[in-house]
Amino acid sequence: MAEDIFGQLLDEFGAGVVEHAAQSYLEEPRGTYQSAPMPLIRPHDTQGVSDVVAFCHRHNIAIIPYGGGTGLVGGQTKPDGNAVILSIERLNKIRDIFPTENVIVVEAGMFLADVQAAADSNNRLFPLSLASEGSCRIGGNLATNAGGTQVLRYGNARDLCLGIEAVLPDGTIHHGLRRLRKDNTGYDLRNLLIGSEGSLGIITAAALKLFPKPQETTTALLAVSNVDAAVQLLGMVQDQTGGLVSGFELMHRNGFEFLTETMPTLRQAFDTPPEWSVLLEVSGGADFNLDERVMNVLETAMETELVLDALLAQSQSQRDEFWNLRETIPEANRLIGAISSHDISVPISRIPEFIANTPALLAQFGDIRINCFGHLGDGNLHYNVYPPKGGQKKDFTHLRDDIQRTVHDQVQKFDGSMSAEHGIGRLKVADLETYGDPAKLAAMRAIKFALDPKGIMNPGAVLRND
Amino acid sequence: MKVLVPVKRVIDYNVKVRVKADGSGVDLANVKMSMNPFDEIAVEEAIRMKEAGKVDEIVVVSIGIEKSQETLRTALAMGADRAILVNAADDVHTDIEPLAVAKLLKAVIAEENPGLVLCGKQAIDNDMNATGQMLSALLGWSQATFASEINVDGDSATVTREVDGGLQTIKVKMPAIVTVDLRLNEPRYASLPNIMKAKKKPLDTKTAADLGVDVAPRLSVVKTTEPAERAAGVKVADVAELVAKLKDEAGVI
Ligand SMILES: Cc1cc2nc3c(=O)[nH]c(=O)nc-3n(C[C@H](O)[C@H](O)[C@H](O)COP(=O)(O)OP(=O)(O)OC[C@H]3O[C@@H](n4cnc5c(N)ncnc54)[C@H](O)[C@@H]3O)c2cc1C
Ligand SMILES: Cc1cc2nc3c(=O)[nH]c(=O)nc-3n(C[C@H](O)[C@H](O)[C@H](O)COP(=O)(O)OP(=O)(O)OC[C@H]3O[C@@H](n4cnc5c(N)ncnc54)[C@H](O)[C@@H]3O)c2cc1C
Repeated sequence: MAEDIFGQLLDEFGAGVVEHAAQSYLEEPRGTYQSAPMPLIRPHDTQGVSDVVAFCHRHNIAIIPYGGGTGLVGGQTKPDGNAVILSIERLNKIRDIFPTENVIVVEAGMFLADVQAAADSNNRLFPLSLASEGSCRIGGNLATNAGGTQVLRYGNARDLCLGIEAVLPDGTIHHGLRRLRKDNTGYDLRNLLIGSEGSLGIITAAALKLFPKPQETTTALLAVSNVDAAVQLLGMVQDQTGGLVSGFELMHRNGFEFLTETMPTLRQAFDTPPEWSVLLEVSGGADFNLDERVMNVLETAMETELVLDALLAQSQSQRDEFWNLRETIPEANRLIGAISSHDISVPISRIPEFIANTPALLAQFGDIRINCFGHLGDGNLHYNVYPPKGGQKKDFTHLRDDIQRTVHDQVQKFDGSMSAEHGIGRLKVADLETYGDPAKLAAMRAIKFALDPKGIMNPGAVLRND
Repeated sequence: MKVLVPVKRVIDYNVKVRVKADGSGVDLANVKMSMNPFDEIAVEEAIRMKEAGKVDEIVVVSIGIEKSQETLRTALAMGADRAILVNAADDVHTDIEPLAVAKLLKAVIAEENPGLVLCGKQAIDNDMNATGQMLSALLGWSQATFASEINVDGDSATVTREVDGGLQTIKVKMPAIVTVDLRLNEPRYASLPNIMKAKKKPLDTKTAADLGVDVAPRLSVVKTTEPAERAAGVKVADVAELVAKLKDEAGVI
């Protein structure tokens, strides 16, 4: 980015809004992408975002929309530095809350955890829940259509959004901040912007759905005999509780071993981690007797040996300890260092077969470790490949592309998706071209050109820009 | 030896506490309740003593409303043998003060004759830190508070206590009241098979009247208030900015 553009921006918007981006804005959690130095622009409100976008549009300056920087596919980075970072972090107010309507209207720069807390203090639940919730922002969650641990019950970011305010690539403001559950008035721009990863515009505010806060929650950590047993158990618990399962997380033993390896002082739940375990959570209204219902199912499941052992949280603290194990696995993964990570989804009933067959395909790459875990209830697995114990990631990086292709080819064969919840970003642009439906890709390019003919919105993310 | 462990049902320590609008106390309606964490540690210690062959029976006692049964069932699922519920209130908001609890425990002890009582050092709801000490005075038994290590050996026990600035090891004569601190052990989780077994373990119910104790409160709560809201933190860009802020704004270096 030429210094003169920085100067121009500074003249136009002032030092309170324009500065050189600190290092933290140029990195991403996985360390795969590193942006070259770029200006950082932090407007104070929607009009400010609009002014900056209009300016960039006039001067053909590319924009990287920036939320909390927790995205896992590099969409918030620009390695060649040929752009400006536009952070929405200062748009961080609650605009309105309507507890009786179960709606909250927030600006896009609010941290997800703060939206959850605002809902909670109004005796409501905002169910979007990710391990990054303290650092990711609502705008980023919507831009990536984030998923997380409660999709099974409440849906992903898209399902939780009623209306959107956004700045389009020429700087015009789309006033779509409606809070209607029914609004069939033409093409749905909201749903187009959700999941567009900053390539079609900048989300500045959103009307989000709230839910009654569960009064009773039952949480159990289970050792299951195999993945098929886990899938069967999910069906049994859903049937017995009338669909009240709000979490169903599958974890492989390697995840617990990674925890032991990288965080030896963390307390583990099972003395010897089972090959497969499930974190089950069921929640509902007061006096639903969920503990009893869940225990009845689990008793049957233990008699038929689907479940080998079951720990039931006796307090909120124990519940947090169980979830903490699940949510610390990604951090242990990071410390171990994946050769290749795959955020995939497969039809739920085919997951056991997928998990059984894929290791044989990967055996050609030698002595590797697979840590497969994730949101089984959504058919979403994180299927990550690691060096053997004591091995170094760098000795395996040359295999990365082949490993990834092997996993993604397999996913395609199973009618799955090679990007379940993290998005395309820069990481999976080529995969999208390989595996995406040609008609869909053509329509995506047409939409991109129609809304952003100059190609200034996050160029190179989602779609190739040459 | 028989061990008696009093276990209190309290607001879960990870629940955000809300003060009632009229300031008369904390709102406990529809709030997650669980076993006082220090009592979980006491139960765990009793179980470990039993596993080590030093204890042959663990009796858990809870004083409170009917629902305190849930807390007793948890203790039974962890591994206690028998439970006693002293039904002393109808409303979860009714507070039973440490002196009344201690008197009730004294009456239970007269019937049960335990060789050791393991209490939590405090209950996290009212933070009185008094029950164990009062009980010891009423019984004339030895007391050892804030235990982080307990070794029972015949007619005495060696207890390491967490005191300000370090550890103190004392020897007390049995029978004794020991109140346990956070670092004594890590309580186990309850497994489904053990929860099922716990359902069949004996749970006796008594009332405060059965034990001849008046539980009417002697203290009156004047006011309950939320703690002052903490100011939001700020993010610093680098070490230099942090040092500057500590120096100029906080004035701590
Ligand atoms: C520890 C950890 C756990 C995670 N767990 C999950 C999980 O369980 N499920 C899941 O789905 N994801 C997960 N993620 C990924 C990540 O948290 C999500 O993708 C999140 O939604 C990104 O939000 P953000 O504000 O950090 O966005 P950023 O990283 O800043 O940006 C992500 C993308 O959105 C664009 N963008 C950001 N803000 C806007 C805006 N206002 N308007 C338009 N475009 C914008 C960016 O250009 C970029 O392409 C996890 C990440 C980490 C580090
Ligand atoms: C300077 C300072 C530092 C502190 N630091 C810490 C700290 O680091 N960590 C920390 O956690 N706290 C800390 N505290 C809190 C402090 O320890 C408490 O104020 C006090 O110890 C607790 O009294 P209590 O209400 O538990 O006692 P009690 O109510 O007397 O309870 C003691 C025990 O009696 C039994 N019991 C009571 N009622 C019943 C019942 N109804 N049924 C059955 N059994 C029952 C239980 O075994 C219970 O655990 C600190 C306080 C101060 C002033």
